[in-house]
Amino acid sequence: MSVTPLLEEPQQTREVLDQLAGIAQNMTLEVGRWRVPVTSLDRPLWPKARPRPATKRDLLRYLARIAPAMLPHLDGRPVFVTRWPEGVAGKSFYQKSWENPPPFVRTVAIWTQESGVARDYLLGANLATLLWLGQQSALELHVWFSRVTRGFDGRGLGTGYASSEQSLLESRLNYPDFLVIDLDSYVYSGREAPGDEPELSRRGFDAVRHVAYEVRDVLETLELGAFVKTSGRTGLHLYVPIVRRFTFDDVRAIAQTLGEFLQTRCPDEVTLAWAVKDRTGKVFFDYNQNVRGKSLAAAYSPRRHRDATVSMPLRWDELPDAYPTDFTIFTAADLVANRGDPWGGILAAKADLELALGPAAATAVSQ
Amino acid sequence: MAERAIWSGAVSFGMVNIPVKLHSATRSKDISFNLIHVTCGTRIEQKRWCPTDQVEVPWDEIVRGYQYAKGHYVTLTQEDFDALPLPSKHTVGISAFVQASEIDPVYYEKSYYLAPDERGQKPYALLLKALEEKGLVAIATITIRKKEQLCALRPHQGTLLLDTLYYPDEVKLEREVDIDAADLSDEELKMAYRLVELLEKPFDPEAYHDRYREALSALIDAKLEGKEVVVAPPHREAKVIDLRDALARSVAAARGGKPASKSRKTKAPPARRTRKAGARKAG
Repeated sequence: MSVTPLLEEPQQTREVLDQLAGIAQNMTLEVGRWRVPVTSLDRPLWPKARPRPATKRDLLRYLARIAPAMLPHLDGRPVFVTRWPEGVAGKSFYQKSWENPPPFVRTVAIWTQESGVARDYLLGANLATLLWLGQQSALELHVWFSRVTRGFDGRGLGTGYASSEQSLLESRLNYPDFLVIDLDSYVYSGREAPGDEPELSRRGFDAVRHVAYEVRDVLETLELGAFVKTSGRTGLHLYVPIVRRFTFDDVRAIAQTLGEFLQTRCPDEVTLAWAVKDRTGKVFFDYNQNVRGKSLAAAYSPRRHRDATVSMPLRWDELPDAYPTDFTIFTAADLVANRGDPWGGILAAKADLELALGPAAATAVSQ
Repeated sequence: MAERAIWSGAVSFGMVNIPVKLHSATRSKDISFNLIHVTCGTRIEQKRWCPTDQVEVPWDEIVRGYQYAKGHYVTLTQEDFDALPLPSKHTVGISAFVQASEIDPVYYEKSYYLAPDERGQKPYALLLKALEEKGLVAIATITIRKKEQLCALRPHQGTLLLDTLYYPDEVKLEREVDIDAADLSDEELKMAYRLVELLEKPFDPEAYHDRYREALSALIDAKLEGKEVVVAPPHREAKVIDLRDALARSVAAARGGKPASKSRKTKAPPARRTRKAGARKAG
C-alpha cells in the first residue's frame, strides 16, 4: 500500500481555478478543448457548512483540484449520481442514465433487466465531465465495483454489456474488482427524531472504527488487505481489491459469511440484522453492496452531509485520529495535495480470493 | 561498551553539568524458558482473564490497582502516573558527597557505567579525579524506567560507576537473627581466627561460576545434540480454518442452481467478435 504523492496541479486544474476566481455568476468554462457552461455559481448547495456556506463555485473548485486523485477511481466504471438542484436541504433524485450528453462525456450501454433494453450510463469521467455534473448539482458520485477496462485480469471476460442478460453475466461488469464492506453505525446520538437514521456522533464513529479494525484483523488472517475510507456520513467503507475470478454473487456470499463470522466474534458490536430496530447500539455490517448495479459513493465524492463532507480515503494509521467532518470540500484537496492518495495503489494490491478459501474451495470452485 | 546506552542525560551539581550516557555494567545470565504444552509442543499463550465477566480482557480495559485491603483496590490510570513528579528525568542530580565506607553494601542494587558525552569529557575527568583523590562517593537521584532511584557515583578503574541504591525503607536492617551475647573464651576466638585465616586470599571474581547455570546449559546442549527436541506444529488458528471452509461453502452455495454465475474455469471463451471489441476499447 504505497502512497505516491501527487505531482503539481495539472495545467487544466490551474486554468479552471483561474476562471472560477472571479465573481461572475455565469460563465462558460474552458476545459482543454471542451466548453462547459456553468450558472448560479454562488448558489449555496450546503447552506450550513462550516466555516461558511458551500456554494456551487466551491464545489467546482474542489472538483477541479481533486480530479487528479479522484478520476482514476472512476476509470472504466459506470457512474450514477444523486442531484440536489436546490442544495442538500432540498429534494434530490438519483440519475442513472443520460440522453444526449455533451461530446466530452463517455457512456456505456448496459442491458437493464427491468426495461429489457440497454441504457446509456456514464462511464468514468474526465475533468470536463466532473464540472458538467457539478453544474447540475450532481453532488454525489456513485461508482460500480466492476469496470469495462481489461486490465491484467479481465482478459478472458466478455464485453457484451448491452446485448442480453446472459452476456452481461459473462462480462467484465459481472466480475468486481473489490469485495466491499459498508460499516454503518446504529449508535444513536440521542438527537434524532423517532424513526430517523442515526446522526454522526463521536461514540458512534468510535464503534465503527473499532469494528473496522476487527474486520481488518480477520481479513489479515486470510491474507487479504483492506483499504478504508470514510463514507462521508456516519460510517466507513472497506474495499478489498481482488483478482477478477469471482462473480458478484460469489463475492457477496463471501462477504456475507465474513459478516456472520464477525457477528459471532463480536456479538455486542456487529449486527447483520435487517430490522433497523435490531441494529440499535451496534455497527451494521452491510455485505449487500456486492451486487452488480449497486454502488457506493466514490472515493473523494462530496456527500449530502450538512458540513459538505467527502468520502475520504485514509491510511490505516490515520484512522485513529480521523473524524468524518474533518474532510470536506474545503479541506480534503489540501490534504491530498500534501500527502497523496492512500488509495493510489489499490488496483495494484489485488489478492486472489481463492487463496483465502479453505480446502472445501477445491471442490466448490471447480464445480 | 559498544552496546546501546540505556539512558542519556547529564550529571549535575552546583553549576556543573556533565552530559553522560549510561550502560549496564552487569547482566543477569539466568537461562530463561518458555512454557510449552507437553502434548502438542505449542508455546502456551498467556491470556488476561476476567473471572467475573468470563471474558478475555484487552489491554485498553486494564488499569493498575493497588490492593489496600483484601479484595479492595484503588486504581491508577496512565494519566495518574504521568502526573507524578519526577524531577530528575534527564539528570543525575548530586545532592551530597560522602565517604565510601559510609555506605553499607546492603544498599547497593545494580551497577552501570557512566560514559561522558563528547562535550562532557573534561568535567567528567575532573569529577572522577576529585572523587578518587578524596576517597568520596557522590549521592544522587536518577530516573530510570519511570522510577526515581537513589544512586551513588563512585570511581572504578578510571571510570565512574553509577550504583543504584535501595532507599532506606527498602532495606531491612532490623536484626532478624538474634545472637545472645554468648561467653566467648580466648581459646575459641583464636580457633575462629585461624579458620578464617586459612581461607583468606585476595578477591578473585573469576574464580566463581554459576555452577547451576553451567549444568543447565550442558543439559540443553546434550538434548539438542541427541535431537530430543520438541517442535511446535505450524501455527494454524482453528477459527481461521473454519472461516476459510465456511467461505468456500458459501461460494458453493451461491453457485448452487445458478448456472449463470458459474466459475470461469468451465465457462466457454467469449465469442471472437466481442473479444475484438474489448481489445479496441481497452486500447
